[in-house]
Amino acid sequence: MQTIPDPPISIQSLTLSYGRAPVLDGLTLQVPAGSITALLGGNGAGKSTTLAALLGFERADGGTIAVCGIDPGSDPDAARRQMAYLPENVALYDHLSAIENADYLLALSGERHDRAAIAGALAAAGLQDQAWDRRLGGFSKGMRQKVAIAVALLRAVPVLLLDEPTSGLDPRATADFNALLLAVRARGTAVLMVTHDLLSAADVADRIAFLERGRVAHEVAADGPDRFDVRALHARFQIGGERRAA
Amino acid sequence: MSPVALIARDELRLMVRNRVAVIAFALLILLTLVAVASSWSHRQRIADLRARHQQAAADAFDAQPDRHPHRVVHYGSFIFRPLGPLAAFDPGVDAFTGNSMFLEGHRQNTANFGDVRQSSLLVRFGQLSPAFVLQVVAPLLLVFLGFAAVARERERGTLRVLMMQGVSRGQLVAGKLAALGVVAFAAATPALIGLTAIAAQPGAAPLPMLVLGIGYLAYLALWCVVILTVSALVPRSRDALLALIALWAVTTILVPRLAPDIAGQMHTLRNRLQTDVAIARDLRRMGDSHDPDDPHFAAFKAATLKRYGAARVEDLPVNYKGLLALEGERLTAALFDRYAAESFAVQARQNAVVAGASAISPAIALRSLSMAAAGTDLSGHRRFLEQAERYRYALVQRLNRMQAEGVAYADDTATDAGADRRKRVDAANWRAMPDFAFRPAGPGTLARAALPGLAVVLLWLTAAGALLAFATYRLGARR
Repeated sequence: MQTIPDPPISIQSLTLSYGRAPVLDGLTLQVPAGSITALLGGNGAGKSTTLAALLGFERADGGTIAVCGIDPGSDPDAARRQMAYLPENVALYDHLSAIENADYLLALSGERHDRAAIAGALAAAGLQDQAWDRRLGGFSKGMRQKVAIAVALLRAVPVLLLDEPTSGLDPRATADFNALLLAVRARGTAVLMVTHDLLSAADVADRIAFLERGRVAHEVAADGPDRFDVRALHARFQIGGERRAA
Repeated sequence: MSPVALIARDELRLMVRNRVAVIAFALLILLTLVAVASSWSHRQRIADLRARHQQAAADAFDAQPDRHPHRVVHYGSFIFRPLGPLAAFDPGVDAFTGNSMFLEGHRQNTANFGDVRQSSLLVRFGQLSPAFVLQVVAPLLLVFLGFAAVARERERGTLRVLMMQGVSRGQLVAGKLAALGVVAFAAATPALIGLTAIAAQPGAAPLPMLVLGIGYLAYLALWCVVILTVSALVPRSRDALLALIALWAVTTILVPRLAPDIAGQMHTLRNRLQTDVAIARDLRRMGDSHDPDDPHFAAFKAATLKRYGAARVEDLPVNYKGLLALEGERLTAALFDRYAAESFAVQARQNAVVAGASAISPAIALRSLSMAAAGTDLSGHRRFLEQAERYRYALVQRLNRMQAEGVAYADDTATDAGADRRKRVDAANWRAMPDFAFRPAGPGTLARAALPGLAVVLLWLTAAGALLAFATYRLGARR
């Protein structure tokens, strides 16, 4: 049986630049197994680049990065087999139904699930059963996201990366999603969630890391001494807490 | 199921669910079936017609009455080039070169009655044959079905989704290639079935057909690889489509049409009128057998008299007029052979230029392979012309010898009332003349002739494969 190094996500002094413009500048971040870390930051802070580096789509200039002990820069395919990824704009296949999309993507990742299991995951993701066998051509952004969530849930991987996962969801769906996320955490998955939604992050995350100019400027833990004070965090970082802060 | 098979299955599923793709594919299959049927029927009709005409010409020759052999020399005979079974797959140059010849003394006629010369200009655009469908139409269908195979994944963001499932770039491209390969094979199947049906015909040899099958499959595989390469290199589907259509138009239409014109400009072939004038000039220079002062024929006469130990031609044991005809035909045939060799040399240089154009158009290499294996290329035509000339020369000289040995000089020069009767030889002689029988190239020769074209197509395939490997490496490349 494979032993997963803990923390499954480990980033040390990561530097990465586009041309001469540094995007990540000594980023250090750990996401332990069975925990949710929310990564917040303004535009250009380096959130998406951090995810791209973890996914092996960007190569770091310096520092170390490891997903379950694998450097995604040198062996992206192996690293990706340890991860599920839910992008902000979900890309799926319009010519396939929800069930077929899930079946196809899971089969590609080497996992076989029967229709009942896929249907169960789609239901858990909040997709109504009438939509399961419909092709995705007519799906809304939220419905597509639910299909992608179902695929991510079914993949028994130690790491889950989320990019603005609740951006297309209504409040009820967001609450459902957060409940799903807690279930994923409970089975030992390390979850890194990039988001602008401080409220949602505060609801589910065990830790919130604030990124500024390519490095973690501030990090708070739900059970730490300063806990999550959304009003104070919003006042300090001007990120996403408008509803409650107002 | 492996990721490659899964991706291939999904690509095929996408094509099946796309009505336009299904209709286009069905139309191609229909077109191929029509091409196979019409080409086969056309070939049969032509073969029957030529066999019938050949028999009629032979019968007319044999039915001549008793007559002077030199009149038979000028009566002449028609011969027709029989079509091999593979002409149903690729008629090649048959429609352009002419397929019949009139054989007579003192002249080396060119082939006549090419279908194109007897048809409307539309025929020049190409006969609908299985070869044409596979060379020109099938690649276009593959372009329309495959241009977006990789570009679509990148455009819609599913490329990263696939990679996130642990699919490697190589697996992705291999899966797409496998799907397009299945389509290409399915598109080629009706034509290959037609080819197999031809194999059952008498005279069909499996070896050239095998080379033909390999060549066409390699050509379609080349298109699959090129389509995938462009789709992987170009960022947007629309750009991939435009690039591939341009590539198709240039390599399968433009270059194959332009290359022969350029070759013709570079190495000009004399037209028939120019050749006839040049030959007539040379014939005048060669000498006149009727002129007693002509140096060549005066020397010939002296040598003949010396050989037979005679003082006058009237004393010769053979008809001197027959000997003159033999010598005259030998001289003119040598002259005609020289002109024919010059013409073939120019054609060979033209062909070399066209073959060189296969460096920018694999369709030219395939066309050359296809016609060579089918025996319908210029070499096949030249083979017919050379055999026809050998037959003509042997026939005419046999008749001239008949005049020399079977008709007395005194009778041949007599002008009295019964002279005409005495000059004639028995009609049974015409029936004893052997008929023309074209010997087509053997299977080994045809297959060997097709190998250079096959080598070029395989070279193209290798180069395209290397480019696809590069495009695959660059796919979803990080900085």
